[in-house]
Order: sequence, then structure tokens, then C-alpha cells
Amino acid sequence: MSRYLLRRSAGWLLMVVAVTNLTYLLAWAYLDPRSNYVGRRPPLSEQQIVNLLEPRNLDDGTPLLERWWNWFSSILFRWDWGVSPTGQSVNDQVAYRMWISGELMLGATILLTVLGIALGVYSASRQYRLGDRVAQGTSIITMNIPIVVAALGIVLLAIAFNNAVGSTVFYVTGSSSPGVSGFLPTLLDSVQHIALPTAALVLVGYAQYHFLQRSLLLDNIKSDYVRMARAKGLTKAQAVRKHALRTSLIPVTTQVAFSIPAIFTGAVLTESIFAWKGMGQYFIETISKNDVNGVVAVAAFGAVMTAVGAILADIAVVVLDPRVRVS
Amino acid sequence: MTTPVLSVRDLTVSFPSEAGRVDAVRGVSFDVAPGRTLGIVGESGSGKSVTSLAVMGLLDENARIGGSVTFDGEELLGKSDTQMSKIRGNGLAMIFQDPLTSLTPVFTVGDQIVEALTIHNSRMSRRAAWDRAVELLKLVGIPRPQERVRSFPHEFSGGMRQRVVIAIAMANNPKLIIADEPTTALDVTIQAQILDLIGTAQRETGAAVMMITHDMGVVANIADDVIVMYAGRAIEQAGVDTLFADTRMPYSIGLLGAIPRVDKAEKQPLVPIKGSPPLLVDLPDACPFAARCPIAVDACLAAEPQLLAVEGAVDHRAACIRAEEIRAGLIDGEPVYPIPEIPTSSLEQLPREDRKPTLEVENLTKTFPLTKGAFRKRKIGEVRAVKGVSFDIREGETMAIVGESGSGKTTTLLQIMDFAPQADGDIRIVGTSVTDIKGGRAERQLRRDVQIVFQDPVGSLDPRMTVFDVIAEPLRTVATPTAEIGPRVDELMDLVGLDPAHSDRFPAAFSGGQRQRIGIARALATNPRLVVLDEPVSALDVSVQAGVINLLDELKVRLGLSYLFVAHDLSVVRHIADRVAVMYLGGFVEHGDVDAVFDDPQHPYTRALLSAIPIPDPVKERTREHIVLTGDLPSPTDEISGCPFVTRCPLYQTLDPEQQIRCESEVPLLTGRPGVHVNACHYR
Repeated sequence: MSRYLLRRSAGWLLMVVAVTNLTYLLAWAYLDPRSNYVGRRPPLSEQQIVNLLEPRNLDDGTPLLERWWNWFSSILFRWDWGVSPTGQSVNDQVAYRMWISGELMLGATILLTVLGIALGVYSASRQYRLGDRVAQGTSIITMNIPIVVAALGIVLLAIAFNNAVGSTVFYVTGSSSPGVSGFLPTLLDSVQHIALPTAALVLVGYAQYHFLQRSLLLDNIKSDYVRMARAKGLTKAQAVRKHALRTSLIPVTTQVAFSIPAIFTGAVLTESIFAWKGMGQYFIETISKNDVNGVVAVAAFGAVMTAVGAILADIAVVVLDPRVRVS
Repeated sequence: MTTPVLSVRDLTVSFPSEAGRVDAVRGVSFDVAPGRTLGIVGESGSGKSVTSLAVMGLLDENARIGGSVTFDGEELLGKSDTQMSKIRGNGLAMIFQDPLTSLTPVFTVGDQIVEALTIHNSRMSRRAAWDRAVELLKLVGIPRPQERVRSFPHEFSGGMRQRVVIAIAMANNPKLIIADEPTTALDVTIQAQILDLIGTAQRETGAAVMMITHDMGVVANIADDVIVMYAGRAIEQAGVDTLFADTRMPYSIGLLGAIPRVDKAEKQPLVPIKGSPPLLVDLPDACPFAARCPIAVDACLAAEPQLLAVEGAVDHRAACIRAEEIRAGLIDGEPVYPIPEIPTSSLEQLPREDRKPTLEVENLTKTFPLTKGAFRKRKIGEVRAVKGVSFDIREGETMAIVGESGSGKTTTLLQIMDFAPQADGDIRIVGTSVTDIKGGRAERQLRRDVQIVFQDPVGSLDPRMTVFDVIAEPLRTVATPTAEIGPRVDELMDLVGLDPAHSDRFPAAFSGGQRQRIGIARALATNPRLVVLDEPVSALDVSVQAGVINLLDELKVRLGLSYLFVAHDLSVVRHIADRVAVMYLGGFVEHGDVDAVFDDPQHPYTRALLSAIPIPDPVKERTREHIVLTGDLPSPTDEISGCPFVTRCPLYQTLDPEQQIRCESEVPLLTGRPGVHVNACHYR
């Protein structure tokens, strides 16, 4: 098993390196850090611009190959992913923002997975009855709400609620308030901030697991081994819980494992609406500011997370399904 | 008489469907006495499985159930799922048809047996339950039960899984075991093992058995009492000897007449029952079999006949108004079913040597490499699917290859159909060697001469093509002028006994037997010399199967075809084939004229195979000695230095050590009378 994982990880590492380098070259084809300075008042002279960009390895006057080697060797030997056109360290940004995104997405992912699977089980065991139809109908609607609409709607509701109560229960922007200290106050403050974006993410996201779990479980409920389990003396509910659910969870788990990268790469729109300074927002920001090093770092981070998700999915399948043996 | 364990009275089951209410079971009554075996026989759709599921309370929730089911003095109908779950698996156990799907893949077999034990016995310790599980596995004949108890189902073969299912059924010493087609999905040698085992289970637990099957041979082998079901009703009910010796209801007679017998040499045509069972929606008050019955009279349509005692005998009842007139399959001195005429071929008069060969196969070999690695495939071994097989087929001859699943029969067929060039041998079709085929044109030319009919009549016809297009497709491929295609399709439809007016319908509109006829018509479209048949009747019900077999017989004579026939059903092979080869682990172990091989089997494997088939005659069946092979087919990846059958061979066990060494080290060759009857055993 560990040898297999090692081999898989090595394969993924190669892939990540290739993708990252390719992104670097592509980024230079489309982004132009120089344009950040072109419209300045008072106008900067050519030499001034070069003087700003050159030490940051962002001057397109330097040959591309040299720029690439500077960039690549500094990652390779010093783990330094470069700086933005304004001189901020990309390393610092990613290290800080990844946890902001994690804080937001982890809770939401857990909630929407649990909710989706639970609803899936509920409606599969009541196929075509009222409960199933209502649950399915609701999910179809929520699944089709764009996240922007959902987020803004929730913001309006929360503001109305805050007004009605007369104090700020839910914060609609930012991930924390300044000047809060102590464990409990910090926790409370975080919850007040995180509640709304989480609600928005869960609302639009749970339906995919609801439908997936429902259809997989339905396939398994009708299978021979569930009937066999009932013939052994399990009640229908016991047979479904013990025999059908376990097998139907396998494909769901792989899907969840693949969604883990999204936890740290963030949700672009949600972060922008609620003004969370996470990875998603960073992605938009780096592109709009022609931050070549930042864009490449985001892409590399996404690639690593995809690899992690794929390997986690592999592990999950091996753990859950005894038929799969790695060689 | 003892009180019955199970007593079913006037059981009715109906389901809602788009076509209306389907009455799957319409008033069935029977008793099962302790320690006895009741066989319920019928074709698909006769309501036999629904009856068993109704007893178990495992039907879908939308089923409407009426009547009464009393088990051990308790009324079962109307009990809730929770109440039923106390009885299921405890007093009332069930064995299902498909062992490959009836065990949960993600739990060990031990877990699944333990679950059956502890669910009814919450005070049983885990330890005790595991010990009992090991004991049960030992009882059902799983070798090394201590280790195997921790295996997962996929590590077991089909036969072994069915043993596990039986172990689960036996776990709580049930009073009644319901077995729903427990051997249908298994090979004959495994079927014999499982039937023996059900007998053992019955002795160990003293349980009554309700055996549901479509196989008259299995009934004759195992049952004490028999119920024949048709269209949701019992139409004949008797002790097993009476039923086979003095059959009264025409449908039962038809069922018996429709099955080929492995123990009969003479080639009498089979007697098919024409038509197909009625749809169980809005049945009129008439005998449901009347439309298919050769002796139906007007009175049959007046009212549905009741299941009445025949000549006052309480234990023999039949639902036929003419039951009293029928004696041993005869009515007024004539057989109930007129025996169809099958023309004889002029080719058969010619000695075999003088006929031209249509297919010659020399040393056909096929290996599949086993590879490892994700990018760079390294070869780590090979599966020897077919090892040096040679045979020939002459004009107007049927050659059958029989063997268990995994023996390489289908691979042999596919190699021939692929025109696969052989490194160390040859395949010659009507004199043309496949190595001489250069280019697509020559291949298409040769393809006209060889056509194939597949096993599954549902999967082998494109559901989105009309029957006309299905049959016309090979004609178009060989560039038949458009004007000729229409008349040719009509001709072919007519030839296989279908109405040419139906050629604009889609395959879904036809029954299984009719679809197989369409498949045959398609194969005949290009006027082939050789038709390859891969298990052509194994997916069909017996009454329909007889019709297709007769059609194949007739076509062979009329068109002078040769058949290469692959089957696992030896009775069918005996009926249809002229020559037969028995295949084991990729090689022929016995090969020759069908009567020579079947009447005087030499190789221990052939003997075991033949003796394993239950024959539909309870008197003979009781006196027959079954050679039950132990174990399963070895893996074709193993390197075998001597005789491949050594691991299961009953003869090997009786040899002295020096002779055994020869079996283990020297590959036996086919010896005997070449061309007539050869076998590959050192000591036969």
C-alpha cells in the first residue's frame, strides 16, 4: 500500500511540476506587469519602471528563459515563489489566505456533505412518496440558484434579522472583527462571521450529494444482498443501513475526496461577496493586477490540492472496498 | 399425517403495472410437511418465485397479497416487517438464485454468517458466534474454514459462495428452507455438489425444503412432492413418482416432452409447446393454457378449471377438465402432443469421411498475457485460455464443445470468428486458410461463410433497429443489390418461423424465443456454410428452447449447414450434436462421436460431468450413482506439468503412487480410435 502511494505521489509530483511551469509560460503570454505602471500620474519613465520590475524578476526586457530560470531556481533552492508587482511576498499571501479559505470551506463542506447524504438516504428509503418528492423538488430549486443570488439573498435576510433584533448578530462582511481577544469571544466572533457564507455555500452545494446518494442507494436497496440480509432476519431499515449504505457510500466518498482541494483553493464568488480575504479572492486579485508570480502560485497550489484529493480518494476506496487491492 | 410446517391457502399476489393489475399468483394452496421436500416447477413468469417471496414477506411494498400463509401455527400475512424479521432467517430461511450477488461485497463471509446468528440470538457472544460460523463453513464443505471465514465474497468462486449462502440459511436450524433456483447459475458439477449439500442441510437441521426450479431433472433428483405452476396457478400437484409416471395436465406433459434427455440415444424430435404464456393482466375465466394446448375443446374456454383430485386420489390433483381421459401422456391412444416431423438429410447417408470439411482447426492456441504496471506493462504471466485444440467439422454435421465456465469454449469460438492466425497451427474455413486472408475484401468474402448466433437474445439485437434492419444488415455488408434485400428478409423470416409482416417491429416486441429466431435469421442471411452457436438456448425457457432446437435441426437438414455448438447443457448437446468434444482447462479431454462419448465415457471428467446431470425420471434418478467432483476448476494461470484434471480426479485417488506420478508429470495425449472416440487419460 505505502509503495503504491509513493508511486502515485511521485507521478502526481511530476504532473504538478509540469503544470506549474506551463502556467508560468502561459501567464507571461497573457499578463503584463508593466501595464500596472503605464497609466500612472505623474508618468514613470521607462527606466523607473524597469528599476521597479527588474529586481522582482517581472521585467519583460529580461529574456523569458532567464526569467523562468530565476523563478524556478528560487523555488527549487529557497522555496521562494517570488513577489507581486508591488513587492508583497507570494509565500506570505498564500500561507495566510489558505487558512482563511480553509476556515470558510471546511465547515461548509462537512455540513453540505452530511446534509446531502442524510437527505439522500431519507429520500431513497421513501422513493416516490411525499417526503422524497418534496426533498427532491427543493434540491432541484436550490441547486439551480446561482451562488451570487443565494449569497445576496441571505445577506438581505440577515440584515433584516439584525434590524429586527436590534443588534448585529450576523456580520455580512469580513472574516473577523478587529480588536477581539480571548478564546470565547474570538470563537463567537468567528461564528458570527462565518454563518452567512457557510449558509450560502451549503444551500447551493448540498443538492449534488443528495441526488448522488439517492440514486446510488436506490441501486443498492434493490440488490440481491439487501434482500438476502432481510432474509437473514434484519428489518428493512437495518438491512438498508448496514448493507446498502456502506456499499453506496464508496462512490460518494471519492467524490467528496475530490472536492477537498476546493476547500483550500476557496470559493471565488462567495469570498468576494462576503469580503473574505481567501484564496479565491487572491486568484481574482492576482489576475487583475498582472501578478504573474501570484497567479502561478495559485495554479500550483490548486494542482497540489487536486493531487491530494486524488490520492485521498484512492485511499478511501481501498479502505472502504475490500475488493480493491492495490498492487 | 403430521402437521405441516407451512400451509399456504388460496394465496394471491398482484402488482400494479402500466398495463393494469398483474395477477402474478392467483390462488395457490399447498402444505409442506416437516422433513419433506416440495418442488415447485414452472417457467419464468409462472409465479413460483413470487410465491416464495410472499411466504418470506419480501415482496415489494406495492404488492397486494391475499389468502393465508401459516408457518408453524402462526399466520404470516399481515405481520409487520419487524415481526417478520423475527421469523426470517430463524425458523424460515431462504437460498437465492445468484450466489454472485447475494452476499454483500464489503463484509467478510464470517461477518455475514455471524450477523445471521446474532440477530436472532442477542445473548450469543461474538466468540461463540465466530466459532459457530467456522463450524458451519466446515459443514458446507469449505476447505480451511478457520482462514476462509475472514475472506471476502469476491475471493470465493460461485459454488463456494452458494455454500456460504446455504451456511447462512442453516445457521439457526430453520424448520423450512426455501431455495429459489439455487443451482441455475452454476455449472453442472457444482450443481451436483450444491444439491447434495442441500440434502445434507436438510438432514442436519431436519428442515422441510421448498425447492423452486424450472429444471425437471432437479425436481426428480430432490423432491418428494411436486407442484407445477402455470400463469400464477398450480395446475398439477402430486408425489414425484406419480407426477412423472402418470402426468395428467397437458402443460406438465409438454414440459417433460420438451426437455432433451442426456440418457436417451435415439434422435426423436423434441416436442415444443407452441405459443407463449399469457400476460397476467385481465385474464378471462377460461383455462389459461387453452391457447397453447393441443387437445383443447370448447369447454376449456367456458371456465377456468379447478385443481381437482384425479380419479379420487387425494394426493394427485390436476387442473384440466380432460385429466381423466389422459393416461401416461396419451389421449385416446394418441400422444397428447403430435410429434413433429424433422426431415432427414441426404448428407447423413454419406459416410463422414466422404463429406467435405467446412472447418478444420489445427492446434489452436490462445494465451492472454497478465501484465503489471501503470505505464510500462510488464508481463508477469499468462492465462492459457486454449491450449492446442484440433478438430474438424464436415458438411451437415454438428460439432459441440462442452465444458464448465472458464474451460475455454467461448475463447475457441471467438478465435475462429476472429480468423486469428495461428503461430503453430491453422484454421481452415471451407478450405481457405485464415493465414491466406490478405485485406478486407478477402476477409468479407470468407465472413459470408461463417456466421454466429449469440447466447443472449436480448443483448445481441440492437433495440433501435427494426427486425428488418437487423436481418438486412449482413446483406448490405456483403453488397447485396437493394432490390433483393426485401424478398430475402421475408424469406429468412419465414424460414425461422416468424411472420414476415412483423419485420417492421422492434426487437422489444418479440419474446425471448422469437428474438433468438431473429438472431438465427440474421446469421443465415449470407448463406453461410458454418454457423457458430454460442449457448443459443441457455437463456430460454424449456418449452421455448425445444422449438428453437427443432428449428436448428430442421435448418441444418434443409440448408446443409454445419454447426459449431458451444453449450454447458449436456442434454441439449446429446440431442443436437453429431460429434462432441469435452473441454477442460483449455484442452480437449475427450472427443468423438456423440453416442460413443455419451454411452461409453472414458475420461474421468466426462464421466463425472455426465453423472452430475439430474435426469427427469425420479426412479432412475434414485438408482443413479452421481460422481460428485470436489473443488473448483484450477486457475488457468497455474503452470501445470501433468494432467490438468489431477486436482479433482476421482480415478487419480484410486491409483497407486507410481501411477500417480505419471499423472502429475506427463501431459496425457488424446488416444483411442482416432476420428471416432479419443480421450486424454493415461489409464483409460
